[in-house]
Amino acid sequence: MASLREVFQVLNDMRSDGVIEDYALGGAMAVLFYAEPTRTYDLDVFVILPASDQPIVSLTPIYAWLRARGFEAHAEHVLIHGVPVQFMPAYNELVEEAIAAARDHDYDDVTVRVCPPEHLIALALQAGGGKRRERAHQLLETADIDRALLDEIMSRHGVRWSRDA
Amino acid sequence: MRDRARSTGDRIAGLFHAKAEWHRRQVRLPIKEKVRILLELQRQDHPLLKRHRTLEWWEEPWPIEP
Repeated sequence: MASLREVFQVLNDMRSDGVIEDYALGGAMAVLFYAEPTRTYDLDVFVILPASDQPIVSLTPIYAWLRARGFEAHAEHVLIHGVPVQFMPAYNELVEEAIAAARDHDYDDVTVRVCPPEHLIALALQAGGGKRRERAHQLLETADIDRALLDEIMSRHGVRWSRDA
Repeated sequence: MRDRARSTGDRIAGLFHAKAEWHRRQVRLPIKEKVRILLELQRQDHPLLKRHRTLEWWEEPWPIEP
């Protein structure tokens, strides 16, 4: 039976093969690195794609690389060793910054890049929704958060704590 | 009467303190242990979620080890 270590290794292989320029875990799985365990059924991965002259961002090279290794895409997820992984190209400056600032964590001797907790809070609030707001509060209450950095990130990207944020 | 109220208040404060400490301990767990808990939560919650709504195809417990 595979372990999560092997899923993370696939992400690193994608980067070393140049299919993606960089990546960072986001969502609930990323929160796990900084806060107490909560349930999730998929793994969100933000990616920076290699520069291209195509006008439309395409995940086709990622899916083709994965398919060649036996990991099939089903709608917006790819099953990697049975774990549904959703790849999201950096869709705004906050995501780009979160990937650039990602921290290298060790998971069973495999490095995995994870968005910093301050960016995870800002991303959750920017995306909105009750579950994400709850996640942001959970991080704020239990994780080791640099409040000045968080305030600065939120102000720079126009993210608010309000319900409409 | 006042002593009784104070002792109840102290007991409740103690319970909240213990709960907060439990949450702090959960945060400090090694990541692999957190993943083990996540996999267990997935298995426990899946039948309950399934009873309440139609799940997406990918909302299944992960067939992996931590």
